[in-house]
Amino acid sequence: MLDAIQFSSFAEFVDMGGYGFNVWSVYALFAIFVAVNLILPLRKKQKIIRQLKRRMTLDAEIQREDDSNGE
Amino acid sequence: MWVWFSKLGSPKWFYELSGKWLPWLIAAMVIFMTIGLVWGLLFLPPDYQQGFTSRILIVHVAVAGTSLAFFPLMFVAGTITLVWRMKLADMVAKNAAILGAWFSFITLATGSLWGSVMWGTWWEWTDSRLVSMLFQLFLLLGVISLRSALEDSDTAAKACALLSIVGCINVVIIKYSVEWWNTLHQVSSPVTTDASSPNGPEFWIATLIMIVAVYLFLSVSLILSTRNEILERERRSQWVQDLVLKS
Repeated sequence: MLDAIQFSSFAEFVDMGGYGFNVWSVYALFAIFVAVNLILPLRKKQKIIRQLKRRMTLDAEIQREDDSNGE
Repeated sequence: MWVWFSKLGSPKWFYELSGKWLPWLIAAMVIFMTIGLVWGLLFLPPDYQQGFTSRILIVHVAVAGTSLAFFPLMFVAGTITLVWRMKLADMVAKNAAILGAWFSFITLATGSLWGSVMWGTWWEWTDSRLVSMLFQLFLLLGVISLRSALEDSDTAAKACALLSIVGCINVVIIKYSVEWWNTLHQVSSPVTTDASSPNGPEFWIATLIMIVAVYLFLSVSLILSTRNEILERERRSQWVQDLVLKS
């Protein structure tokens, strides 16, 4: 299987038969595209959960204060 | 069927079901991406005319082909929103527009990077394939800004459903542009088992693996952003509050 690798050295691999810039740019763009569209929604979820948690604790405190004021 | 349909429309049900699917979808996506990228970068032989720029094509074709799925998806989602008043379909449509714009942009960028060496030009205004893909990107950006401009979600859903009809017609134009008009962009290569053909199995199987990988990525990303939308829109409901407390 390793025979099927198209390159004999790392420099050759980087060079991509003279098209290194274009080939690597495409793969880099693709990697960024995939990473951004997975990481951003995952980070947003954490942010939403954090905000909801804060709001719920705040609501609970207000509720407690209201209760004690009512007495 | 109808019970299942109305259940699927319930954001809570979708949130729970998609939570069970996600690990499997992500695992499949990682496997296909790894095979596709390793094959593409290490094993794909140089094309007899294009040299190693053929490696650009397996990524470009997979992203470009998948980008055509967004407008039909948004049209179906828009119809479901308007006919059955399903909130979930509207959330899918909203996030699909954003992801679709990304797909269209990456299609244009990777295509340019290929064309700059193979055609000797980054862009060609007279090429109907290129221009119709650019139109798709602008149309999607239009849908996104329309949604953010219109507060009323019902009006937004209607306007976006209308735009997605235009988008679907444009998808047909993108698909057949290379056959209807004389374009710089080549027609798709026929799939063949003949190993001596320029588009032999090692090329189209690699492309097929990338297409599966990209579709899996589309599903994962769209499910993730739709789940966020559900959490935000349903934040006052008991089940979301329970979920937040548990996390």
